[in-house]
Amino acid sequence: MKRDKKITQLAKKLVELSKDDNGAVTEAKVSEVLAGLKQVKHRHHLTVLKSYLGYLRREVALQTAVVATPSALSDAALKEIEANYTKLYGRPISAVTNQDTSLIAGVRVRVGDDVYDASVSGRLQCLAENVH
Amino acid sequence: MKALFITLLFALFLPLGLYSAEDLHVVSLDAADAVAGHAEDGGVISELAGNFGITWPTLIAQMVNFCIVAIVLYKFAVKPIVATLDERQQKIADGLQYAEEMKAQLAAAERERAEKIKEAAVDAQRILNESREQSKEMIEQKTQEAAAQAEAIIRKASEATEQERKKMLTEVRQEVARLVVATSSKVLSRDLSDTEKSTFSESAAKELASAGN
Repeated sequence: MKRDKKITQLAKKLVELSKDDNGAVTEAKVSEVLAGLKQVKHRHHLTVLKSYLGYLRREVALQTAVVATPSALSDAALKEIEANYTKLYGRPISAVTNQDTSLIAGVRVRVGDDVYDASVSGRLQCLAENVH
Repeated sequence: MKALFITLLFALFLPLGLYSAEDLHVVSLDAADAVAGHAEDGGVISELAGNFGITWPTLIAQMVNFCIVAIVLYKFAVKPIVATLDERQQKIADGLQYAEEMKAQLAAAERERAEKIKEAAVDAQRILNESREQSKEMIEQKTQEAAAQAEAIIRKASEATEQERKKMLTEVRQEVARLVVATSSKVLSRDLSDTEKSTFSESAAKELASAGN
C-alpha cells in the first residue's frame, strides 16, 4: 500500500515533469522523462511506467478538446475553440477533430469528462427528453 | 288421664255407695218395718251381701288395697304412659305445626318462583329487544363498512386506471418523440446538403467558442 502510494506520487511527479513551460504535455518532454527512467532503473520499473502512462493519458485527455463533427471544420473555428477552452479551464488545450456522421450537423466538444453539445442530433435528443 | 283415674275411682266407690244406699234402705226399711211391724221381704241386699260374704272390714281392706294398687299403677304405669302419650301428642302437634310451616314456606316459594319466572320473562324480553337493536346496529355498521370498502375499491380502481392512462400517455409521448427524432434525423441527414451541414457546424463551433465568454 505504501509502495503504491509512493509509485503514484512518482508517476504524478513524472507527469508534472512531462509538461513544458506552458503546462502542456509535449512529446519531447515525455521522451526526456522516459530516458531518465531508463537510466534510473527503478525497482518497480514496469509498475511505475504503467502508472505514469495512466496519469499521462488522463492529463492528455484534460488538455485535449475532442471536436466531433460530421464534416470538416475550418482551422479558424478549431483555433477559436482551443482559445476559448484554454481560457475557460486555465490550461493549454489543443483541439482534435473526430468525424461523426450521427450528429447530422453541428459539433460536440468533449474536454475530459465535460461534453459541450451543439449538434443537431443532440438538440433533437434534448427536444425528445423535454417532451417526456 | 285424670278423667280416667276419676272414672276408676268412681267405679271403685260405686259399689260402696250402692252398699251404703242399701244399708240406708235397709235402715229405712227396718225403721218402716219397725214402724209397720216386721215386714217380711226387707234386707234383700243385706242378705245378698251376706250370701256373698261381703263385710265392712273386708270391703274397707279391699278399698285400701285398691287405692294402693291404683296409686302404684298411677305412679309406675299410668304416669309414664301419660308422659309417653303427652310426648307423642306433642310430637304430633309439632309435626302438624311443621307441616303448616312447610305449607306456608311452599306457598312462599311458589310465589317467589312465580315472581322469578315473571322477572325472568321480563329480562328475557329486555335482552331480546337489546339483541334486536344490537343486530340492527351491527347490520347498519356492516352495511356502511361495505359501502366504504366498495367506495375505496372504486377509488383505487379509478386511481389505477388514471395511473395506467398517464403511463400509457407517457409511453405514447416517448414513442412519438422517439419517432419524431428518428424521422427528423433521417430527414435532416438526407435533405441537408454538405454545404448546409458545414455552415451549421461552423456556426455551432463559433457558438461553443463564444459560450465561455
